[in-house]
Amino acid sequence: MEIACVIDERLAAPARPGHLGGLGPGRADLADPVAAAEATEAMVRALESIGAAVESERSGEAFFAVGGLRGIHGGDAAGVLAVARQAVAAAGDGGAEAPARVAAGSTRLAAFVAATGWRRPLPVAVLGARLGVPEREAEELLEALRRLGIETLPALARVSPDQVADRFGRLGLRALRLARGEEAPLRPRVPHEELTARIELPEDAAGRQLDRALELLVDRLLADPRRRGRTLLGLRLGALLTGGGSWSVEQGLGRPSASPRVLRRLLLSRLEALPGPAEALRLRALGFGPAASDQLELAVRAAAPRRRRLGEAVREVRAAQGAEALLRVLPIDSASRVPERWATLTPFPEL
Amino acid sequence: MTPGLHRLYMPHPANVRADDAGVPLALDGVAVEAVREEWLVEDRWWTPRSLRRRYFELALADGRAVTVFRRGRDGRWYRQRA
Repeated sequence: MEIACVIDERLAAPARPGHLGGLGPGRADLADPVAAAEATEAMVRALESIGAAVESERSGEAFFAVGGLRGIHGGDAAGVLAVARQAVAAAGDGGAEAPARVAAGSTRLAAFVAATGWRRPLPVAVLGARLGVPEREAEELLEALRRLGIETLPALARVSPDQVADRFGRLGLRALRLARGEEAPLRPRVPHEELTARIELPEDAAGRQLDRALELLVDRLLADPRRRGRTLLGLRLGALLTGGGSWSVEQGLGRPSASPRVLRRLLLSRLEALPGPAEALRLRALGFGPAASDQLELAVRAAAPRRRRLGEAVREVRAAQGAEALLRVLPIDSASRVPERWATLTPFPEL
Repeated sequence: MTPGLHRLYMPHPANVRADDAGVPLALDGVAVEAVREEWLVEDRWWTPRSLRRRYFELALADGRAVTVFRRGRDGRWYRQRA
């Protein structure tokens, strides 16, 4: 299968040493995460508009399978890539100097390498951004590989899995699989429609004023006719900060909901993390569930669904009220003659 | 205490008036109607942090039943659900 990679290095974390990432300091033009997320969303939607099933798990990056699009766009991979390039350029600033690079390869990694222009033999540093772990953890692994004289992907691919597992554990095996071109299939997202609401805030809005603004924002989003009665699966709350820059946070809902009370409760706790005064709040729906009227309870009286619902409730309450909102009594020494040794309260376990 | 660990039934300081023998006469100004039970707890006497408590289960004049203890180390009174 041939996979295409579209990467906009202005929005992505640094892909190569010496390259500035859009989220890093020094990029005043696209320095904030909300702008990067919005631009990435525009890029992904542009690709979806040409029929691509897109996987995008990092800012500034998108992958899609070329195969299914050949018939639609010219019959060969080059034709598909050209159409993708045009679509992304049109969705961005529209100029001929659009910075997104498009390339194809047999795996995500191969496509990424082709798009970002690494030279062969590929150094293990290529894996840094592809391991799906924090940068520091990835760098520790890469440094250890270099110390052992494994400096390139072909050299890593020659090491046996047993040796890698022994020395580097699960992360090492993940790196080995990437080096050998073994990857999980693409997990394209379900294309979704644009549904956002925005509210301007009065100067120095804080406390109850801010809470009230969030309530209004939620009400506006739910009242948008484009929602067509459907429930929401997740939300992204963003703020434009008065001092410049922006802030955003994503909140999954656990189960589809269109209840203003549930959405407010979840988002209010997230709003506490707002790093400074904001001049505007923005709320975006991240996917739709079935219409609220379709969510009829099935009469399945078994332990598993009850346990699942309880687990969801636990996560929901914890997300809304904090880690210690749900506690349970844990008996310690019920036979002790000193009552405070009988029991403690501990966080209710995740189910 | 370990973060995230909240012990239940922790003792709380109590305002107890006692007679010369150390038997409570009043709790927070409410007279003690009767001492229903009395017991001594000694624990960890083999460590530097030994524990010695003299417990009283009291019936108060307002009808409440409460448990208090006097800490051996400093003679302070505490109330505790026991």
